[in-house]
Amino acid sequence: MLKSHKELLGYGVAVVVICAATIVLRSFGDHVNATTVALTFLLLVLFLATAWGPKPAVLASVLAATSFNYFFLPPVGTFTISDPHNWVAIIAFLLTAVTVGQLSARAKQRTEEAEVGKRQIERLYEELREAFERASHAEALRQSEKLKSALLDAVTHDLRTPLTSIKASITTLLDEVRGRTDGNPMVALDEESKLEMMEVIDEESDRLNRFIGGLIELARIEAGEMHLRRRWGTVDEITSAALQRAEPVTRGHDIEVNIEADLPVVRVDERAVSEVVYTLVDNAAKYSPKGTSIRVTAQRYDEGMIKITVEDRGEGIAIDLRERVFDKFFRATRDGDISTHRPSGTGMGLAIAKGIVEAHKGEIWIESGTGGKGARVVFTLPIEDEDDDIRIP
Amino acid sequence: MNDKPRILVVDDEPQLTRVLRTGLTSRGFDVRAAADGLAGFEVFSDWQPDLIITDLAMPNMDGLEFCRRVRAISQVPIIILSAKGEEKTKVEALDIGADDFVTKPFGIDELLARVRASLRRAHAGPTKGAAQTLLECGDFHVDLDSRAVTVRGSEVHLTPKEFDLLTHFLKHPGKVLTHRTLLAALWGGNYVEQNEYLRVFVGNLRKKIETDAASPRYILTEPWIGYRFDPGE
Repeated sequence: MLKSHKELLGYGVAVVVICAATIVLRSFGDHVNATTVALTFLLLVLFLATAWGPKPAVLASVLAATSFNYFFLPPVGTFTISDPHNWVAIIAFLLTAVTVGQLSARAKQRTEEAEVGKRQIERLYEELREAFERASHAEALRQSEKLKSALLDAVTHDLRTPLTSIKASITTLLDEVRGRTDGNPMVALDEESKLEMMEVIDEESDRLNRFIGGLIELARIEAGEMHLRRRWGTVDEITSAALQRAEPVTRGHDIEVNIEADLPVVRVDERAVSEVVYTLVDNAAKYSPKGTSIRVTAQRYDEGMIKITVEDRGEGIAIDLRERVFDKFFRATRDGDISTHRPSGTGMGLAIAKGIVEAHKGEIWIESGTGGKGARVVFTLPIEDEDDDIRIP
Repeated sequence: MNDKPRILVVDDEPQLTRVLRTGLTSRGFDVRAAADGLAGFEVFSDWQPDLIITDLAMPNMDGLEFCRRVRAISQVPIIILSAKGEEKTKVEALDIGADDFVTKPFGIDELLARVRASLRRAHAGPTKGAAQTLLECGDFHVDLDSRAVTVRGSEVHLTPKEFDLLTHFLKHPGKVLTHRTLLAALWGGNYVEQNEYLRVFVGNLRKKIETDAASPRYILTEPWIGYRFDPGE
């Protein structure tokens, strides 16, 4: 309905335009020649085709040819054409007008179709983008849920393991006390056994406390709330403090310390860096056999950096685990495939060490020990830093 | 002198094996400990314990594989120590042939009760009585030939499937039986996923043998795992 209405209007406009053009051109009398008239009509047909489509353009072409013949080709005022050249002219005009009209109308239609196609593609692209965003958002959520539950499992395990030993010890002791007070001693616990139970409770409580301390430290690092108290100090002092603290766990090992002569003083948080060295030495002692050596070295590295290494002669760490051991709660012995037992760590030491080293704008990584045996943990520290109180980014 | 029951404890947590060794020794058991399945299996082969207590997550050889190896050559009772979140592994271990489980953290009394029950069951022996036509256990008296069932002295009438279910329970008193184990025993391997069959039959059996089916004392539910049968005294 609307379409036919618009078409009718198109025909009307075609008639009006051609009539108006004829009147205007006639008003110039004999001053306009046939070529001017033909070109003007062609221009109008072109305009009508573009604005109103192919059919009004055809009507305009026929009207223009008729008007051209009647009003402008001699003999003027008749439909007869005397000169055979003018026959050629009128036919050429008609064909050109119709063709130009059709072509321009079609070009316009193509443009419109392309426009519609383009809008459709844009809409489709937008829909796809939204769908993709929704999907990737859901995936990210799922991943983070998975990670959360894995972390929760690890934490639960680390809390429940010492609790199990404590609970079993305390209930054994309770049974003994109750049996004695009831005058019905069914449990034969000698003093040595009682002492052992209490030792277990003591040690496992410390282990729980260490674990919780680690959790708090990690949370601080992750929240970016770790303040470094930088002061000038020597690497010698830092490593000595760490080794002194680690002495109870390294008694069975040979400790070799090799600090490069004339190593410049560094401006670091001594307590934090000493904690890193302690963690590395403690790990080395835990995961290498007694009687083997642990080597601690410090030397210059690149420009403005020093490098500290702790190397053991244990089984080493598989290449594919060398980055994962810095993830919190990851333990190569339990979660990886190292065939030694005794994973007594919290799975947080290296994660904390990494946090401290990176806060100092250094790097930490693991490589194979000398001759491909054992593990060597390396970390770097800048010698000078002008900032006073740096927060972890 | 050397007739103390022998218990092998397998766990990779040295503190826990220390406690269990002391706690169980003080109760008159002879205890040896191993830090993983592989070491545990060696001790088992050399020492022939009367009962095994094993953790599930261990390096070298985990608890599952350890249970499988032991079961392949022995019927010694196995109690699993499991943490929450290991339900799947726990059920798997029970399916393989473990007899019972204790969830960490546990009190020594609970563990000891399970140890005593498992040892009692093992000593009772799987084939007691000459032709095994009579099953007598706690409050239950079942004649396998005439299919007559008496509970607390009064006779009860059971459908054939209920009878099979009850005799299966009676043959494994105190032991945790997983849904899968019971389904396979009663209907065969094709029905092991049809837990609802089992729920219906257990419900019906409870109505006939329990004094109060809503709070059963014989057929006890182990949530998510299966059932445990307590024949009463």
